[in-house]
Order: sequence, then structure tokens, then C-alpha cells
Amino acid sequence: MLSIAVSELIQIFRNRLVLVTSLVMPVAVSAFFIYQHESFAALGSLGYIAAMVMFTVGAFGLYTTTVTTLASRRQNLFLKRLRSTAAGDAGILAGLILPATVLALIQVAIILTVLAVVTGRPADVLLLTAAVLATVIMMIGLGLATAGLTNSPEHAQVTTLPVSLGVVAVASWVGISGTEELTLLKRLLPGGSATELVVNAWNGGVAVTDSLILLAPTLSWVVVAVALATRLFRWEPRR
Amino acid sequence: MSTTPVIDVEQLNLTYGGFHAVKDLSFQVRRGELYALLGTNGAGKTSTLEIVEGHRTATSGSVRVFGQSPRDRDAVRPRMGIMLQESGFSPDLTVQESVRLIGKLTQRTDNVARVLDIVDLTRKAGTKVSQLSGGEKRRLDFATAVYGTPELIFLDEPTTGLDIQSRDDLWDVVDKLREDGSTIVLTTHYLEEAQQRTDRIGLMHQGTFHREGTVSELTQTLPAAIRFALPATTPALPLRAARESDGTYLIETFGLQRDLHTLLRWAQDHAVELQSLQAGPTRLDDVFRAVGSEQLSTS
Repeated sequence: MLSIAVSELIQIFRNRLVLVTSLVMPVAVSAFFIYQHESFAALGSLGYIAAMVMFTVGAFGLYTTTVTTLASRRQNLFLKRLRSTAAGDAGILAGLILPATVLALIQVAIILTVLAVVTGRPADVLLLTAAVLATVIMMIGLGLATAGLTNSPEHAQVTTLPVSLGVVAVASWVGISGTEELTLLKRLLPGGSATELVVNAWNGGVAVTDSLILLAPTLSWVVVAVALATRLFRWEPRR
Repeated sequence: MSTTPVIDVEQLNLTYGGFHAVKDLSFQVRRGELYALLGTNGAGKTSTLEIVEGHRTATSGSVRVFGQSPRDRDAVRPRMGIMLQESGFSPDLTVQESVRLIGKLTQRTDNVARVLDIVDLTRKAGTKVSQLSGGEKRRLDFATAVYGTPELIFLDEPTTGLDIQSRDDLWDVVDKLREDGSTIVLTTHYLEEAQQRTDRIGLMHQGTFHREGTVSELTQTLPAAIRFALPATTPALPLRAARESDGTYLIETFGLQRDLHTLLRWAQDHAVELQSLQAGPTRLDDVFRAVGSEQLSTS
């Protein structure tokens, strides 16, 4: 797994397009949110900014890169090549996804640290960490499922739009309007409960037990995504 | 050569989308053998190979490789090298990185520089795969298949796209691997290579074997041919001959040496010149054509 991950990391840094979409763009958008934090805090809260930067990195850095990587490796038969070796399927997938995941986690950690330095530390760092990890797992699951529907890296530019724009839109909606109204709908939408969790963790004022319940919908999306991926994911291009 | 089967296939069937790609196929490959799966396009060679390699699941039947299921990658893959029909390398990795990665994943040990040297890619070690020619990619593919000198090597059309020198070099490596005891399973469209190199051949057509055996066994099923042209007036021929549309004569025979001798003696006795004389044993491509035409005549 580790040797696949190392080769994948090399490829990310050699491919300018992937580098820009997975590293530069999310950082640039996040930097804008932090720079304009007073305006965005007035619109929602500091927790809302934290949720937005997390989902920007999760959607464009992690999810899109995961789908593009898997579609590309399948299209050029690299997945088949890897399966010609003694490596197991789980190890191959983990190796392919690990670099983008680690990069996304590092990005989120750095960006949220900068936000904390600029605006003050979050109320509950552990809860925030749990929210970030749950979101990352959900985005990976959705990435695997979407990769099953994606034939090529070019096709990924279309197939990733619903989820990537969808979760950012949900995060924005929940972060700005809260969950007093349409509570169930907002929490069940992908990214809805994770946004509320981040907002609670950053702003404070909500009991930890009440917040932890919000992990359930996020992890349910992981189960749905993995179930979809099991049915949809292909190791070789369609003949 | 040991008689222990490295590959044991029994009553193999593969159907997809209503198409019966492989039909009741049974064969064995013995240790140290070079076994060729040959056939027309769409005969089911690659499907069969993919099942034996563990890339595909059969609809029914049994496949054992080293006595294990080929799907059990942990048990089987460290002992086998696979040269795919199509490249399957990441374009952004260099040649050296590709061999190192795939070599490491095979769980065999070898020296990357040695492997690159035997496929003549040392000068290209730092070149990205995207910048290689088609032939160089095939050699890279071959390098990953032979990394660590596996006991069993699958070569799916290994010489397609290679120049003559590279082909010869590749076969030299294969010969060396066989000396070291490796078993080779080959598919190729170059029948001459198969005729020269293989121990046994499975000749596939429409999903099943139409012939199986050594080159000699396969070619003995068809008569050899003697072709020649004659001057306008000649005495009666000593052997039964067919007149072809271009005016030449054809003698089909299972006793080539005897009949050729008879014909030459007759020509000498009657001072007849046998023009454009050609005589030779049955070639594999004759058998190949016969299988195709048999199928046409029975369908």
C-alpha cells in the first residue's frame, strides 16, 4: 500500500492540473474566507467559515482528486496492472487514495490553525477533529461511488459537480441559516450535520453529547457511499 | 520437463451478455513448458488467459494455478509474472519508478537496474512512460513480467510492436528464463514464433480448442504440399496431382520425402524441368487456415 501511495504522491506533484485543483484552488478559496472573516462571520459565524473551508478542501481537494485519480488509473489500465501483482484490492485503493487524503487533512489543519490564530481558538478542538475526520471519510466514500460512474478524467469534470457543489451549497445553507427550521432535512443532506457539528465545535454553547449525535448522519452517508461503490466501482474500463 | 501441471483447467466456461466466449475448455500446462494459446480474433484466448491469471471469474469450470485458485492473489501472484496485452502504466512515472513499484508489489526480489538492462531500457530509466515509444512500452511491460524470475510467466502478444532485434532479444530472455525453469504461457499472432518456440499449442476457435498438441502433432494432421509448373508437353505424372487455377500442379502428401524423390526421379528420367518447384512440410499457418475453413464448412 505504501509503495502505491508514494508513487501516487509523485504523480500528484508531477501533474500540474491535479496540483492546481487539489492544492492551490482550495487554499486560495480558504485564504479568501479567512481574509474576509469579519464579513463571513457577520453572515453566519466563525464556525460557518471553518465549515466552508473544510468542505472546500473536502470537495475540491479530496473528493474531486479521488474521482479523477481512480477514473484516470482505470482508463489507462493502471488499476489492472496493480491487480496483476500480489497487492490486494483494499490495499490498492488505500494506496491510491492515501496521498490525497493526507494532503487534504494537512491543508484543513493548516487552514483552520490560521483561522484560529486570526480569530481565536475553537471552543472544542476534539469535537472539531471528529467532525473533520467524519467529513473526510464521507468524501472518500462519495468519491469511490462517483468513480464507479466516471469513465475518464474528463468525464470526472462533469460527474463530480453534483456532489462537490452540493456539499458546499448545503454547508453554506446550514452555516448561514442554522438548523432551527427544516432541521431534519438539513441534517440528512450530505454535509448538513457535519457543518452543524463544525459550527458547534468552533462556536461552542452546545452540549458535546448533543453534537456527537450529529456524527450519525455523516457516517450514514459513508455507509450509503460504500454500498454504492461496491455495486458501481469497476477495475477495468467498459469493453 | 516435469509432468506436474502448473496450470490445470477443467471444463471452463465464460458467458457474458448472452455471448458464450469460452466453451468447455480443458487443458494443462506442465512445469517448464512453453505453451501457446493461439486462435483467430475473438477466439477466446484473452478471456481464457484472464481467467487463468485471476483477472476474471469463470461462469463455470475449475482453474487451478500451482494447485490454488488464481483469485488467491497472495498465494499465487508472487510466483507469476504477467505481461498484459495493453500497457497499463502511469504516464507520469518514469521507467525506473514503474519497474520498482510493480516489482515491489509482486513480492519478488530483484535488481531494477538488472531488469532494465536485460530489456535494454537502461538509457530510458529516467524517462517518463508517456515519452516512450510503443515498442519501449512493450519492453517495459516485459520487464515487470520477468522481474524476480517468476516460476510462471504469461506473455500476451509480447512481440506486437517490437522490431526484429527487440523480438530476438526478448526471445533470448525467454530462453534463459526457461533454462532457469520458468513455465511460459504465450498468446501471439506471429505463428512463425509459435512454430519455432512452443512445446505445445492449444488452437482456439469460437471459444474452444479445435486442436491441441505439439507443433509436429498439429502439422501432421494435414498433408504437406509439392507445387510445380510443367512445360506444355510432358509424359504422365507418376503421382496424382491437382491442377491449380494458375496452371501449377499441387501434390498433397503425408510422405513428403518419398513422393518428392519419386517426382524428381521421374523428372530426371524424362528430362523434364520442374519449374518453380516448392516443397515443404505443413506449417502452422496451414493448420490455422484449415481450422478456420473447417468451421466455415460446418457452420
